[in-house]
Amino acid sequence: MMSEQRFKLHPISAVVDFVKGLKELILPFLILFMANGFKVTFNPSDRSSWASLIPLGIFLLIIIIRLISGFLKWWTYVYWFEENELRVEYGLIVKKKRYIPFDRIQSFNYKEGIFHRLFGLVQVMVETAGNSNGKPEVILTAITKEAANQIEWITRNSKEEKIDHTQQDVSEVLVNSSLDSKEIHKMSIKDLLILATTSSSMGVVIAGVAAILSQFAEFIPFELIFEELSSFIKFGFVIVALAIFVTLIVTWIVAVIITFFNYYDFKVIEENERLTITRGLLEKKKVTLPLNRIQAIKIVENPLRQMFGYTAVIVESASGGFGGDEKKVTLFPLIKKKDVLEPLQKLFPQFEWQQSLTKPPKKAKPFFYRIDLLWLLPAIVFCSYFWFPYGLLAILILLPVLLLGLWQYKSAGFAISGHQLTFCYRIFSRVTFIVEKKRIQALECRHTYFQKRKGIKTVKVTVMSGVTGATAKVPNLENRDVESIKKWFEKASS
Amino acid sequence: MWVREELMYQIPSKGLSVWRLYGFFKTLLIAIVLGVVCFLTYKFAWPMFIFYIAIAVIFIFAFATIWLFPKIRWDHWRYEVREHEIEIQYGLFIIKRTLIPMVRVQHVDTSQGPILKKYDLSNISISTAATTHIIPMLVTGEADSLRSRISILARVAEDDV
Repeated sequence: MMSEQRFKLHPISAVVDFVKGLKELILPFLILFMANGFKVTFNPSDRSSWASLIPLGIFLLIIIIRLISGFLKWWTYVYWFEENELRVEYGLIVKKKRYIPFDRIQSFNYKEGIFHRLFGLVQVMVETAGNSNGKPEVILTAITKEAANQIEWITRNSKEEKIDHTQQDVSEVLVNSSLDSKEIHKMSIKDLLILATTSSSMGVVIAGVAAILSQFAEFIPFELIFEELSSFIKFGFVIVALAIFVTLIVTWIVAVIITFFNYYDFKVIEENERLTITRGLLEKKKVTLPLNRIQAIKIVENPLRQMFGYTAVIVESASGGFGGDEKKVTLFPLIKKKDVLEPLQKLFPQFEWQQSLTKPPKKAKPFFYRIDLLWLLPAIVFCSYFWFPYGLLAILILLPVLLLGLWQYKSAGFAISGHQLTFCYRIFSRVTFIVEKKRIQALECRHTYFQKRKGIKTVKVTVMSGVTGATAKVPNLENRDVESIKKWFEKASS
Repeated sequence: MWVREELMYQIPSKGLSVWRLYGFFKTLLIAIVLGVVCFLTYKFAWPMFIFYIAIAVIFIFAFATIWLFPKIRWDHWRYEVREHEIEIQYGLFIIKRTLIPMVRVQHVDTSQGPILKKYDLSNISISTAATTHIIPMLVTGEADSLRSRISILARVAEDDV
């Protein structure tokens, strides 16, 4: 059954690699030309014009080298199956070989960019258990979907063979797996719109739009518009309000478009103890995530979504993710809070989802805001002094900071039940962090001199996720409670 | 109530000297930079207060990095390697205490730079899947035996599970 036929990637992978390389070049290119002030004029009679061409020449050279190296990589790249291993080889002068035993393959993740979709191709990322440097072990840049299915089928089939030696028919396996799959979550167009509207990226987009508008400001004949408008609208602030309104609308549309590109057709499917998440409009992505690789679950409620009763669920995983070093996988980007428990219970029956939290003591309350207030004091004094009458308004900023502190105090807490630890905390969004004892890598408690005097401590746990791990921190808990968490954790190992 | 006492082991006092030495080098670096500033002030007749600020900064920096910080840090540093877990305590103003179960330990390294070698000291770093913890300035022989002890304990702990 094991064929030793060697397979090549689709030629388009050379183009994909090349375009990816180009994307990385765009930024330095722009910076260089901004610095030069776009003065690329060629005038053979003027000697100095040759010098201005040097950067352009360097870039052309780099582009050509990229093109050749992309082509060479495709030319030399082969993969094949031998002795229960997926073997990959590439490189002209320096040959790189990588052999991955089928057993070590955790999951296959797929990505379809625009080029892929034109030719019915797919990019395959092979994830293994051991890779902690945040990169997939092997990336097959572009192969046909049939080839991708073949890889998955061959690797999986050999695993099944090992488990029970009875020869299973291909069709039977396929039927079985399709029977097992359950759709856990799906996003409707309405969900996407709400997601876009309440996303924190709105802020970033506002900044972006403002920057772009300010760039175009000199081209827009404001004076002309103002004159004409002011002939029938006497109040300047109407124009200001209009400008703000237009900015908001543009921002919203941009946010909606971005969200649609990223999350269109978002689906979570459970199949044989694996989660499969698909998403994307132009660039389709598909991630498989073995359930037993999930380290911790985070339920995140940003204040805006909390107001409307929505929440998001993120899982920290030891492997998987949408390629790159992003090991956080968004399980549900947006879900009604009252609907979230049911699918979570189905997926993770080992956890209890509703628990009464142990809160920080009352005496800890000032610790949530007083440091922030202290930091702000010099800034406020500075503002008040230099812009005397209006600078005093800076004092007003103390109020929201104080309220946020109190809100953080209200949100904080923890719960222990059996092997499960639940942390609740708020920085800006409220996070409920749920983890099993065996997934916690280290536990840290800390106190400052002032905390010690009041008998409170901050406690932090770290779980595996990507290179640095993911942490959750509940501030200012009663000493006794922190000790009980520690004691619970110590029993883990005995 | 179950009371937790102080952890058992401290960093050898030689470690304090090395931290002081590091502080001295840092001060030297700052002094060179500020020396250049002072020279420029002299040459271009900038206002005098720059001299005073520079001198004050050097003195405060020297006091903090050579005397105060190493002392506080050394006072706070404690560690203990037990059968089932490693516990370390460290920090300058915020005292942190970290608990690492033996089962989670993936590997242990010791490392030594030229200054540490002169003082016959080593750093030992303990890695889990997500974090790395360093116990600094242990006597080399002790660090090596601690390293092998942790690796044995970690292996035993894994067998238990």
